[in-house]
Amino acid sequence: MADLKSQTPTQTLDVLGRVCPYPLVLTKKALEKIPSGGILKILCDAPASAEDSVPRFAQDKGYPIEVVKLENSWELYIQKT
Amino acid sequence: MTKKLLFVVRALPYKTEASRLALTHAIASQSVEIYLEDGDLVEATIAFIGDGVLNCHKDQQAMKHYGITPIEGHMKNTLLLDMKVMICKEDLDEFGLTEADLLMDADDIGGEVKAQIVPFGEIAKEMESVDHLLFC
Repeated sequence: MADLKSQTPTQTLDVLGRVCPYPLVLTKKALEKIPSGGILKILCDAPASAEDSVPRFAQDKGYPIEVVKLENSWELYIQKT
Repeated sequence: MTKKLLFVVRALPYKTEASRLALTHAIASQSVEIYLEDGDLVEATIAFIGDGVLNCHKDQQAMKHYGITPIEGHMKNTLLLDMKVMICKEDLDEFGLTEADLLMDADDIGGEVKAQIVPFGEIAKEMESVDHLLFC
């Protein structure tokens, strides 16, 4: 799998402070707008979204995803395919 | 397959949780596709009629009068998530409200769609076209 986090993201989505379902729905909306092959970087501090709903969505869509756990938040990298 | 929901909000903005719950459920419905069959979607629309149009009033003073957060945040979030929001024109006229009195967009938080003031007939057509109608 490509190392997504080492690549320059096409767009960064900051959903820090937002709880479920906003990170997922805003992620979907952002992905609709980036071109195929583009990488969306998501800054998130909602555990249910970062560890469950957003990765599940990406997997359902077949989009590669990497989740990086930081001290109090997560960085998620999704490549739109 | 896309399942269409219409939340019809008739309740006043305060002294009841109905309108707040309607907006919360409409927002939450936008994330359930991850639990559905592959490709299934849920599309939610919100219509404010009767007393419910008062939910759309801007500059609400909920914290001052009731000690609770205003409905405005929920309203803005529905627009942020590109949901279709319809407000009944005839009922606004009953209250003497115009577009200038209402929260019509969520530009300040990145929203791209606007609420629509429409005749009741348009809301009635929407009611007939959806799979599930929820009165709140």
